[in-house]
Amino acid sequence: MRSKQRTIKTSLLLAGLAIVLLVPLLLGRNQYHMVLVTTVLLYGVLATAWNIIGGMGGQLDLAAGAYLGLGAYTAGTLLLRWNVSPWLGMIVGGLVATGFAMLVGLPLFRFGVKEVWYALSSSALVEVLRVLFQMWEEVGGPTERYLPYHVSSWYHLRFASYVPFYYILLAMLLIALFLNVRISRSKLGYYLFALGENEDAAEVLGVDARACKLRALMIYAFLVGAAGGVYACLYGFIHPNFFSSAMSTETAILGIVGGMGITYGPLVAAVLLVSFREFLRASLGGQLEGLYLAVYAVILILIALFRPQGIATFIRDAYGKAMSRLQVTGEKDVVSADSPGL
Amino acid sequence: MDTIIQNTINGALMGCIYALITLGLSIIYGVMNVVNFAHGDFVMLSMYFTFWVGTLWSFDAVATPAVTFPLLFLFGIFAYYVLIDGTLRQKYVTQIAVTVGLQTLLRALAQMIWKAQPRALPYSIIQGNFQVGGITIMLSRLITAAVSIVAIAGVYFFLTKTWPGRAIRAASDDLDAASLTGVNYKRTYALAFGLGSALTALAGGLLMSFQQVDPTMGLRFGLLSWCILALAGLGSIPGLLISGVIVGGTEALTMSLWDPRARSLIVYLIFVLVLWLRPRGLFGRK
Repeated sequence: MRSKQRTIKTSLLLAGLAIVLLVPLLLGRNQYHMVLVTTVLLYGVLATAWNIIGGMGGQLDLAAGAYLGLGAYTAGTLLLRWNVSPWLGMIVGGLVATGFAMLVGLPLFRFGVKEVWYALSSSALVEVLRVLFQMWEEVGGPTERYLPYHVSSWYHLRFASYVPFYYILLAMLLIALFLNVRISRSKLGYYLFALGENEDAAEVLGVDARACKLRALMIYAFLVGAAGGVYACLYGFIHPNFFSSAMSTETAILGIVGGMGITYGPLVAAVLLVSFREFLRASLGGQLEGLYLAVYAVILILIALFRPQGIATFIRDAYGKAMSRLQVTGEKDVVSADSPGL
Repeated sequence: MDTIIQNTINGALMGCIYALITLGLSIIYGVMNVVNFAHGDFVMLSMYFTFWVGTLWSFDAVATPAVTFPLLFLFGIFAYYVLIDGTLRQKYVTQIAVTVGLQTLLRALAQMIWKAQPRALPYSIIQGNFQVGGITIMLSRLITAAVSIVAIAGVYFFLTKTWPGRAIRAASDDLDAASLTGVNYKRTYALAFGLGSALTALAGGLLMSFQQVDPTMGLRFGLLSWCILALAGLGSIPGLLISGVIVGGTEALTMSLWDPRARSLIVYLIFVLVLWLRPRGLFGRK
C-alpha cells in the first residue's frame, strides 16, 4: 500500500514537472503570458526561499527586497564594471547577500530581537539600503543603470524572449524546493519547526536558537540574492527601487497565506495569487488605478482570516482524502495527510 | 550654525506630532498586544480625510479633527470588529498578515480615490514665524506641537482618571483579572482600537496644516511610530513625548548635516541599537 502511494506521488510530481517544462512551448509565442509565468516563478522562488526562515523558523522576515537588491546590484555592477558574466554574478550576488545577512543576523539573534521587532527591523533594513544606494553614486545613484545591451547573448544573460529566464528561474525554484525538503527532514529543520512553534520552549529543550536562525537566514538570503542577479538581467537595469518594501512584504504574505512551513505552500500561493493579481491588473488596471490592488488585498485578508493555516492545506486535505479513498479496502492507518513536504 | 539649530528645533516640534501618532499605536499594541502594521496608513488616511473635509467644507486643517476624529474612531471600531477580533486567538503572524492586507487595501483605496499625485490644503490660519534670538521658529510647528502635547495630556488624563480609560489600562495589565472585575474585553478592545486610530485623525489634521499627502506616506509614518515606541518602551506617556522629540530632532539634524535623502537612516539605526541594547526602551516598564 505504501509503495503504491509512493508511485502515485512520484508520477504526480513527474507529470507536474513535465507540464511546467512544457509551458514555454505552449505560451512561448505570447510575450505577455511569458512575462506572467516568469513573474509567478520569481515570486515562487522568493516565497519558497522565505519558507525556510519564515515558514519553518517562524521569523517574520520582511527583508527579501534587501537581499534581492544586493544580488541585483552585485551582478549588475560586476557586469558593468568588469564585464563578469551574470552567471557568475548571480552566485557572487547570492554570497554577498549571505554575508550581509550574517552581518545583520548575528547581532539581531545575539540580542534576541524577535517577533514583531524582528519584522520591523528587517523592514527598516530595506529602506536603509534603498536610500544608501540612492546616495552611493559610484554604484547606484538615483537613476537606473542599464546593463550592456545585446540582442541575445548567453554570456551576458540577455535574450530576446523570456523563455530562457523562465527556465533559469524554474531551475532556481527546483533548487529552493529541494533545499526546503532536505532541510525539513534534517535536524536543522526539526529545530526550526520547534522554534517556529514556541521559541522559548525550544530553547529550554536545548535548541541553539541563534545558530539555527542564522543558518536559515543565510540560506534564504543566498537564494534571494541569486534570484536578484537574474532579476537585474530580466529587467536589463538596476535601480534603488529594487530594494522594495512592497515586494518584501508580498513575499512574506505569500509565505503566510500559502501555509507556514508547508514546502509547496508559498509556491501554491505564488501561482494562484500572483497570477490572480496580474489578471486583475490586466482586466481592471485600465479602468481605475489601484482597484486591482484593493481587490487583491481583500482576498489576502479573507484568506488570512478564514484559512490562517494557509491555502496549501486545501490541497493537502484533498490529497489526503483522495489517497484514503484509493485504499478504503486496505489498512486505514497508513494514511498520513500531513507528511512534511510533498 | 543658526540654521542647524533652527531646523533641529522645528524637527523636535514635529516630533511632538510623531509622539501623538505613536500614542495611538502604543494604546493598540500596549493594551491589546495587537501588531498593527497599518498604523502609518491610518495617518495617511486621516490626512486624506482632512484634505477632503478641508476642500469640501473649506475647513481649516487644524479644525478638521472635529469631523475626522469621530470618523476615524468609528473606522477603528469597525476595523476592530471586522478584522482584528478574529485574529486575537491566532498567532501573531496571522495578525500581521491581516494588518498588512489592510495596509495594502488602504494604499490602493487612496490611489483610487485621490490618485497618485500629492494633495495639500490651500492655506491654514496658522501662518508665519517669529524670532527668538536670531532663530526663526515656524508658528505652524509651534502651535501644532502645543496642540499635540495638550492632546497627549488629555489622553493621559482619560487613561488614568476616567472609568473606560482605567478599564483599558486594567486590560493591558492583566486581561483575566480585569474580566473578573467586570471589564468587558471586547468593548474595551474596540474602544482602545478606536481611540488609537482616532488619535491619528488629530495628527493628520495637524500635519496637513503644513504638509502634503500622497498614498505612499504610510510606510514612513508606520516605521517611524514603531521606532518611537521602541525607543520609549511601553507604558510611559511622557517617555513617548521625549522619544518623539528625539526622533524628530534627529531627522532634522540628519537632513541638515548629512543629506536630505538620508532623513530616516539615523533614526532606523537608533531603532536597531535600542532593540539590541535596551529592548524595553528608555522609559518602559518591564
